[in-house]
Amino acid sequence: MARADVLVIGGGVTGTLAAITLADAGASVTIIDAGVNAGSDANAGSLHVQMQSRFMRLYPDQVPNVEASLPFYRAAAEEWVRLDAVLGGVELVRNGGLMLAETPDQLAFLEHKADREAAQGLSVEILDRRALDQIAPWLGPHIIGAELCRDEGKLNPLLANRLLRGRADAAGITRINGKVDGLALTARGVEATTAEGPLQADQVIVAAAWGAGRLADGFGVSIPTRAEPLHMNITEPGAPSINHLVQHAERSITLKQFGSGQIVIGGGWPATYRGPTQPPLVRPSSLLGNVALAAKLAPAISGLKVIRTWAGMNTTIDGASVIGALPGAERIIMAIPGDAGYTLGPMVGQMAASIALGAQTGFDPERFTPARFAV
Amino acid sequence: MTEITFTFDGHKIAAREGQSLAAALTEAGHRAFRETAKSADRGMFCGMGVCQECLVSVDGMPNLRACMSPVRDGMVVAKQAPFPEFSGAHVAPSAPMHLSPDVLVIGGGAGGLSAAITAARAGADVVVLDERKVAGGQYYKQSADGSVLDAQQQEGAELLATARGSGAEILSGVELWGAFDPLLFLAQQGETAIVARPKTAIVATGAYERPVMVPGWTLPGVMTTGAAQTLWRSYGTLPGKRVVVCGSGPLNLQVALELARGGAEIVRLAERAPHPLQRPFASLKMGVAGPSQTAKGVTMELALRRRGIDMRNACELVGVTQSGSELLATFRSAAGVEDTIGVDALCMNSGFEPQNEILRLLGAEMGYDPAMGTLRCHTDDAMHTNVSGLYAVGDCKGLGGAPTARQEGIIAGAHAAAATGHGDAYDLFAARRALASHRRFQSRLWELYDIAPGNAATMPDDTLVCRCEELTIGDLRNGLEGKPGHAGTLKRSTRVGMGRCQGRYCGPVAARMVAEATGKPVEDLSFFAPRVPIKPVAISSILAAEEALYGEG
Ligand SMILES: Cc1cc2nc3c(=O)[nH]c(=O)nc-3n(C[C@H](O)[C@H](O)[C@H](O)COP(=O)(O)OP(=O)(O)OC[C@H]3O[C@@H](n4cnc5c(N)ncnc54)[C@H](O)[C@@H]3O)c2cc1C
Ligand SMILES: Cc1cc2nc3c(=O)[nH]c(=O)nc-3n(C[C@H](O)[C@H](O)[C@H](O)COP(=O)(O)OP(=O)(O)OC[C@H]3O[C@@H](n4cnc5c(N)ncnc54)[C@H](O)[C@@H]3O)c2cc1C
Ligand code: FES
Repeated sequence: MARADVLVIGGGVTGTLAAITLADAGASVTIIDAGVNAGSDANAGSLHVQMQSRFMRLYPDQVPNVEASLPFYRAAAEEWVRLDAVLGGVELVRNGGLMLAETPDQLAFLEHKADREAAQGLSVEILDRRALDQIAPWLGPHIIGAELCRDEGKLNPLLANRLLRGRADAAGITRINGKVDGLALTARGVEATTAEGPLQADQVIVAAAWGAGRLADGFGVSIPTRAEPLHMNITEPGAPSINHLVQHAERSITLKQFGSGQIVIGGGWPATYRGPTQPPLVRPSSLLGNVALAAKLAPAISGLKVIRTWAGMNTTIDGASVIGALPGAERIIMAIPGDAGYTLGPMVGQMAASIALGAQTGFDPERFTPARFAV
Repeated sequence: MTEITFTFDGHKIAAREGQSLAAALTEAGHRAFRETAKSADRGMFCGMGVCQECLVSVDGMPNLRACMSPVRDGMVVAKQAPFPEFSGAHVAPSAPMHLSPDVLVIGGGAGGLSAAITAARAGADVVVLDERKVAGGQYYKQSADGSVLDAQQQEGAELLATARGSGAEILSGVELWGAFDPLLFLAQQGETAIVARPKTAIVATGAYERPVMVPGWTLPGVMTTGAAQTLWRSYGTLPGKRVVVCGSGPLNLQVALELARGGAEIVRLAERAPHPLQRPFASLKMGVAGPSQTAKGVTMELALRRRGIDMRNACELVGVTQSGSELLATFRSAAGVEDTIGVDALCMNSGFEPQNEILRLLGAEMGYDPAMGTLRCHTDDAMHTNVSGLYAVGDCKGLGGAPTARQEGIIAGAHAAAATGHGDAYDLFAARRALASHRRFQSRLWELYDIAPGNAATMPDDTLVCRCEELTIGDLRNGLEGKPGHAGTLKRSTRVGMGRCQGRYCGPVAARMVAEATGKPVEDLSFFAPRVPIKPVAISSILAAEEALYGEG
């Protein structure tokens, strides 16, 4: 295997954008990907910007991190708008996202949240039921209001993945299927160990999501990348009716309609972990609970049929992305988006590429530094 | 039979009570049931609830399968638009049904009914779930009105009566859509959700038919041979006046004769394999293995010849086009000569694909059978899979035919009952001996036909492969350029197999294409990963099941 300028570990959305950015700057780039459990292959294509209530509930200690990241989320959504144009259309629609409230308490929570988000520059507004009836008449009668975040949207991730892959191929990026077992610094760069032998590169970008933490072990950090198996459902097509990304103030759900007319229902219901080399297993409780909740919020969809469910591997860290060189190992650059990783992935990949090229990223590097996990 | 009427797109149609909507529409000359996203017409294809092509809207409810829906007086039926308006009012879920028998039998065909009888007689508490309105399965397909057409149907009626008398509970019109570890099953019977947690489960879901993929195989009026058989045997409906039957295998012979006797004009019966007499040794081996079945086959062939039916061997369908209300089917002979005939209906069968979704979902071990081009589920002598408490019998394991399914059913039924403390499953020597003999006959029989899967490499680029997503073999070939390591990767990049039918037709083709391109052997993992729901499931039904299992309200 010829030595590459940069070896990118992980071929999901983050690694692919990092590789394209580097190749466009003239570097020779190789992507190595294990070909299993990429979140990018399983995700739902929601462009998340507002703080996800599910996340706030699950990881309250991480909320300050997320809040501080909000401008970053907004910029990431803008980046997708740019990519949509560059790639020739990924069915990106940016009508905003609704977070629903069923009780006065929930609405109060949303009002408070909206204030915090507006302070970070997000375009948010609280809608009452009358206003909701204008834009989302399919909602159940018990919904009393919602927060609308205009920065949010949706896209078709399968299409985006295919087009990005085509761009990477056109940029002359080498792609190999394989797993990196460990990294070591050498006199001239970095060596990555694989079952098929070592790979040499000047620099390495680690965009391996749930597999990233392990690769950074031994370099003075312990990055808590956690594999989080999540459940998804999709229905048969219906007439285009749902324009927004839909979430709930208290309960785990995302619901939206794709360009195909199909409704995609997810939002963080658990699946069963079966180790890193096997896809997670669908749980009946998630299938039934997730879809039943969707039908309660939007009864109009209950005449449709669910045609498929699946489970995929999400990656969580501490509420903020990890982007930057490992302390004491400048040639190894981490690129892990963390939560809402498909939204953030392109930005994270490009920022990691900028760091590899010695350029500025446009964001405070301290926010994302791997050094915060120093051991 | 009671005459009833309903409307289809405003046309008044007379039907007989008990007919399926698909049969009634076919009889009235309507073939296009739905329109696709790309504005193509589709109609009944599989006739057994698998292909999801026969969708119509009924009284404002979208996407009902006409082949599985009985016609009712006064129904307002409309051609299905690709993107129906949301119709769902919040349906109040009806009371769910909880089942926890000793033995749950999934599928009430030859295998399932035999298993149920044996297990119930041993004293086990047995429930059979079957999708069709009347159980019996494909071989013993029963008529909707209880009339009996021939010895085959009579034998089935007797089996069904024995099963009913055995103490086993038989629930019809039940579609099982979810299977989860450890033996948790979710099903729907109309509006009612069924949650089953049996001690043991016997999967006997049979097979569906492999088509002949040529340009035009998706046109309304083109259907599987078994779909035509169901129209006739269950509903007394002919698929058309002028009919051509093609593909490979004995079902084509049998159904051509049945339809001819029913009054259809069989314009041609085209078999892809050369005539058995050109392979006398193979024919002889079959004759020795199963003299009575072989004699039955010879009798059928003679009867067809006596009727003057144009029977051709080494004759292959190359394409179908539509001209007005007529289908033009083009065939090619071994010598390469092409000719085109005009018909009302074209029936095709080119072998069978096992309905092994439940087994795969539960992690039953599979191996690939290259001769048949299908997965085979591994079971031990007791028909037990590697999954605790899970048995498999009949065609869902890999094609074996009805007599094989019956003996396997007897063996599995006895063992499942014994496993739950009923009987000892000792006296199975006769069943095992009969099973060995049927299996011998089957293996010889199929040597005479050309049922290995078609070679995708010779298919013209514009041949549709994925009916649901409307993708051609050319689209898949383009997808292969992205060097997918797995059929699942090809699925994500091209959408092949992402439709309602869950890749039942395109899946095997995609699996073999990717395996060939990557130089890997075909195995269980080559195929699309099995997914819940096995068949599309109404959200209202999910609501009901959720209430039943978690009762959260
Ligand atoms: C069901 C589901 C729905 C989701 N929905 C959304 C959504 O709507 N919106 C959103 O913004 N985000 C969503 N996400 C999150 C998002 O999909 C991921 O966070 C994102 O795709 C991560 O992209 P990535 O490129 O960083 O990593 P991934 O796409 O996960 O790719 C990492 C790759 O690295 C490989 N790898 C790991 N270790 C090694 C190693 N040692 N050597 C070689 N290769 C290795 C893996 O095999 C994998 O292919 C969802 C996630 C899931 C699971
Ligand atoms: C359309 C068709 C026609 C055939 N006709 C003949 C013929 O005429 N002569 C011949 O020799 N062989 C015929 N065969 C071959 C036939 O399948 C077998 O020989 C025999 O019927 C196998 O018995 P079995 O019990 O394995 O499956 P089957 O008899 O097919 O029984 C399977 C049963 O399972 C039910 N089922 C399947 N999936 C589900 C589910 N998810 N939920 C609930 N119920 C389910 C089905 O409704 C069916 O009743 C035919 C096959 C097909 C597909
Ligand atoms: S014809 Fe009804 S599902 Fe295939």
